[in-house]
Amino acid sequence: MEELLKKLKERKIDFEIKEKEEGVKRKIARKTILIKIPRERLRETVKLLIDSSEDFPHFSVCSFTDYGKHVELNYHFTIDYGKPMEEENVVLRVTLKKDDLKVPTLTDLIPGTIISEREIKEMTGIEIENIPDGRHMFLTKDFPDGVYPWRRDETSPKETRKLYEVWK
Amino acid sequence: MRYEIPIGPIHPALKEPILLQLSVEGEEIKEVDVIASQNHRGIEWIGMNRNNPIQSLYIAERVCGICNISHPSALVLAVEEAMDLEVPERAQYIRVIQCELERIHSHLLWAGVAAHEIGFDSLLHYTWKVREKVMDILELVNGNRVTKAIMMYGGVRRDIKKEHIPKIRKMLQYYKEGFDKLAKFFLEDKTIEMRTRNVGILTKEDALKLAAVGPTTRASGVKKDVRQDQAYFAYPDFDVKAITPDMLTGKVVGDTYDRIVVRLLEVKQSVEIIERALDEMPGGEITSQPKIAKLLVDLKRADGEGIGRHEAPRGEVIHYVNLKSGFEPFYSWKIRAPTYNNIMSWIPMLKGCQIADVPIVAASIDPCISCTNRAIRIANGRKEMLSKEDLHRLSVEKTKKLMRGG
Repeated sequence: MEELLKKLKERKIDFEIKEKEEGVKRKIARKTILIKIPRERLRETVKLLIDSSEDFPHFSVCSFTDYGKHVELNYHFTIDYGKPMEEENVVLRVTLKKDDLKVPTLTDLIPGTIISEREIKEMTGIEIENIPDGRHMFLTKDFPDGVYPWRRDETSPKETRKLYEVWK
Repeated sequence: MRYEIPIGPIHPALKEPILLQLSVEGEEIKEVDVIASQNHRGIEWIGMNRNNPIQSLYIAERVCGICNISHPSALVLAVEEAMDLEVPERAQYIRVIQCELERIHSHLLWAGVAAHEIGFDSLLHYTWKVREKVMDILELVNGNRVTKAIMMYGGVRRDIKKEHIPKIRKMLQYYKEGFDKLAKFFLEDKTIEMRTRNVGILTKEDALKLAAVGPTTRASGVKKDVRQDQAYFAYPDFDVKAITPDMLTGKVVGDTYDRIVVRLLEVKQSVEIIERALDEMPGGEITSQPKIAKLLVDLKRADGEGIGRHEAPRGEVIHYVNLKSGFEPFYSWKIRAPTYNNIMSWIPMLKGCQIADVPIVAASIDPCISCTNRAIRIANGRKEMLSKEDLHRLSVEKTKKLMRGG
């Protein structure tokens, strides 16, 4: 973790560390490093993460929150696994304006991100630049264009209680 | 000459439909494409739009039938972080016991399926007979074999009673005594070794880059286990060690055989954890907020976000939750099941294998899906349906051929 924090400071990337206590008899602190970065620095930060990891950073998933005028993408990573109680969560948070929904792909750096990127693309309508495979991942081929289930605006399937009614 | 073989898309017996598109030359698989978009249940959408968080906890249990403790576990961890909720000590121990009981039954279920896939049905029946012991205990403790509704934000819903403990101990003893026999059947059998050694290899590098999780990545030599790396519940008390195949065989190959080794050793590990948890279990309350209506009000008022990570039998499951005050459902909810990360590892595993190896290699990651239902073989311009039974027959024939000496 120290190496990553040092490199982040060198590049003047802000971060905050959150801790949560876990355990019953033996207490441990579960650490989450939250890094807020603009879209332009996403790939640079992921490269930093790869360079400062002993093995390889583990990519878990990418989550999405719609705040109305802007949206938030959280890339969830973990680093320093393999050693007891030393693993930390790393969250890369990218905020995008609603009229400019674009992020660069990470698949060339971490091949395992492909499923998440395809999912983000179909569920939120965010364009993934240079994605090698832009097909649907979880929604079926005939799912209508312009309907994004995770959004909270006019593009979400609102007039329905069940998602499958979107087809009707 | 290359042929395209689709395997899938629906298996009636298992939950998640998926399609494998194989490109073959003769018997050898050259290219693999995984197509998951066969059926989407929209569980996250329901949790973000229709249900309140407590209803969502029960729906999280129904994401997967086999790991029905895993999703609620990750979700309670995330919500407890988001709203800063205390959990009593006894509840943390009960959660550990429930999670490990689930791991035993899930790994034994898988071992049976693996035996069936290579045509060893007597071993399937034996393994599932052994598995019944833990299912009986699950029924005794929870009142139900599958969906148990045991997790709740701030604790658990049902206690492990005093009269249950001798019966659980008896079950643990049964597994301790039976382990060597099971290990002998699976690991010393020549035919199983021929069908699984050096088949479906996932290298350590691929496992890391494709972000594989659970026994799939541990069998490739990555010492990664959430219970060890970032312990939660009462796990810090047990010093869980990530299990890699070299602990038993002295080497890491990363093939299907190694995945059997890892899962069998984990059954043994789970038995040991439950035994210690029963010995050390503290007394006291099982939930910090027994009034559900009050909990619901607190949930509605809460503001914040949380990440819950749990080591399910198949690997790391992660839930991300964002709560917004005044908004009843989750403001955002992201579920990531272990198979989500592991399906991409099919691609390097299956390349170079034979069609008859597809059932066992696909099953070796213990997917929450079944794919070997039916396939269409387009040969010489003629369409032929290959059912799951045909694929199974191909697999059994290969086993018989190997037993005759090639």
